[in-house]
Amino acid sequence: MQNKKQNKTLFKRTMLGAACALALAGSAGSAMAANWLMLQGTEPEGASSRAEVWGFIQADYQADYSGANPYGFAPAIQVPNPVSVPGNYAAPKMLGPNLNSQAGFNVSRARIGVRGTGFPIDDHINYFLLLEMGNNGTTRNSNSANNNAFTSVKATDASITLNYIKGARVRAGLFKYPGAEESLQAIQAHDYINFTEVTNGLLLERFPNQAFTTCTLSASGGCAGATGNLGQYTTAQLQAGASLNGFKNPAGAFRDVGIQVFDAFNVGKDWELSYAGMIGNGNGIEFDNSDKSYDKYAYVSAEKKYGGSGARAEGLKYFAWTQRGSRLLEITSGGGLKSYDRNRSGFGVKYLKMPYRITAEYIKADGMIFVGTDKPNFYFTGTSASADGNGITANSATARGRGWYVEGGWYIPNSRVELDARFDTVDRNEDYANEFRFNKWTLGTQYHFNAKTRLTVNYEIRDYKMVHPNTTLSGTNTTTAIGNATANLNGVGNKLGVQLTASF
Amino acid sequence: MHNYFRSIFFVLTTLVAMAAAPAMAASDSMADIKYVMQISDMDPSKQELILNNASNVLEAFPPGAVEVEIVAYGPGLRLLFAQNVNAKRINSLSQSGVKFSACGVTLKGMTKQLGYEPKINPDAKVVRGGVVRIGELVKQGYVYIRP
Repeated sequence: MQNKKQNKTLFKRTMLGAACALALAGSAGSAMAANWLMLQGTEPEGASSRAEVWGFIQADYQADYSGANPYGFAPAIQVPNPVSVPGNYAAPKMLGPNLNSQAGFNVSRARIGVRGTGFPIDDHINYFLLLEMGNNGTTRNSNSANNNAFTSVKATDASITLNYIKGARVRAGLFKYPGAEESLQAIQAHDYINFTEVTNGLLLERFPNQAFTTCTLSASGGCAGATGNLGQYTTAQLQAGASLNGFKNPAGAFRDVGIQVFDAFNVGKDWELSYAGMIGNGNGIEFDNSDKSYDKYAYVSAEKKYGGSGARAEGLKYFAWTQRGSRLLEITSGGGLKSYDRNRSGFGVKYLKMPYRITAEYIKADGMIFVGTDKPNFYFTGTSASADGNGITANSATARGRGWYVEGGWYIPNSRVELDARFDTVDRNEDYANEFRFNKWTLGTQYHFNAKTRLTVNYEIRDYKMVHPNTTLSGTNTTTAIGNATANLNGVGNKLGVQLTASF
Repeated sequence: MHNYFRSIFFVLTTLVAMAAAPAMAASDSMADIKYVMQISDMDPSKQELILNNASNVLEAFPPGAVEVEIVAYGPGLRLLFAQNVNAKRINSLSQSGVKFSACGVTLKGMTKQLGYEPKINPDAKVVRGGVVRIGELVKQGYVYIRP
């Protein structure tokens, strides 16, 4: 209840901020500096193409240095004598989206798009179309029933913006919803190869398989004979086609199909205020709204502009956002589909003035907490008790999470080299016995061949753990279960990544 | 004899005045060199290019020594739309003496297509025709540039 009240308050404050932005507006104009709402949703007035072809490719090599699991997974349901099953791997130790190897090459993104104003002498209407052909959670389809995973081409953006009402542009179609900086920022402009764990875990939505799937624990700790709930697998099993990804739907890619009202205003000498309000299906890049409910999004930002334009415009930006929605899920066998809230909110600051960059953001999540690709339904439905052992029945569908990150970059003067460092942390299933925390340091460097092409090298130092490793629950031997998970997470090692990004 | 020299002086003065008149009518400047730059492309990158050209020319000469006029017609008229992203830069160049001419024929055609007349940058002057204007200026000795 308290969290619902807090979320409601934050939503109201965000909308109030948006209203203030409108009230204080100077000119609703062509503010374009480092403003992702405007960069992605509009075209430069009087200077757009009829159809500008553009895109980018990200090819990478990654290596995960995690060790195999010493034990099988054993959730709160009892495994009285945990069986040591060395040689099994769990999703956090594998490279996504395939989750069947710990090292290899990939084309994580290959996008081609076209944008412009179809009738260039009329700036009132512009469009944006983008296709994704790379191999990632958005394009990787997995049918856990027959492990028939394949990569398909997906439309990630298809939108039209109407710029008729001063101060209230309208964008409709499929596009990025207004939200956290990592999600809203164009991916080809990211300074790191992988998202922070807080963005990956709380915001990059994996839509659960709605129907209840049971899990009968096997001695190895996996779910034996279940559909959609997957156990750990050995290397041999993974090579033979076993899949650790049980999700049937593509990842949400921080996008939705809906309609958005937004704009940016120059205020005073060098401030720019932006706002956005959106309503969408709440189904990522899929085009249905079978649950008949809509997600709502609100975003405000205030930026002091220092100069420049486009993706690397310099400024000091403060931003806040919120997202409220619900998802259908059947959490008990035969219980039928019920609606569970999925609310997210956050605020942050970003500073860019050459040669320095600093970003920090705090994110909160309430409901539908993603806990792993190998349990697309089970961990939403599994029971867990609060950390103090009171035996409160709960599940990740009603759990909470929070996290934050801070990162910085230094563009070495008179060189093409940039040094980056980031720390991020996320806590999921707060106050539950299976609360877990992922901490990560990412050290990176980038070499800019030119304004459109760069090489990124990242080294991730990961510390993943269960928050209550010694929790005892009445009636169950969950100490063992949590202990097993702790031992398995202790084996999550560091990761190396090298990525080449070329835009055109 | 005195009348003869007075007559010669009068004729010579008249001839000099007639030779100087067309140049003085086109521009009151004493610029050594004058450029007319044409933009008629749809390609938005040409907008930045032509403004860069104008800036570079101004920088290459002492103040007052060069005159630049940018004539926009056809799809290039978009450069002189009031809301164009380059409006501030156009204003700055205008303050530095660059002239901007908007083709009246194109404006009429766009008005017909849009159903309303596009607002033109207040720093620009609408001329009868862009091509006609360029022809006039070239005849007057302007150097013709089309980036």
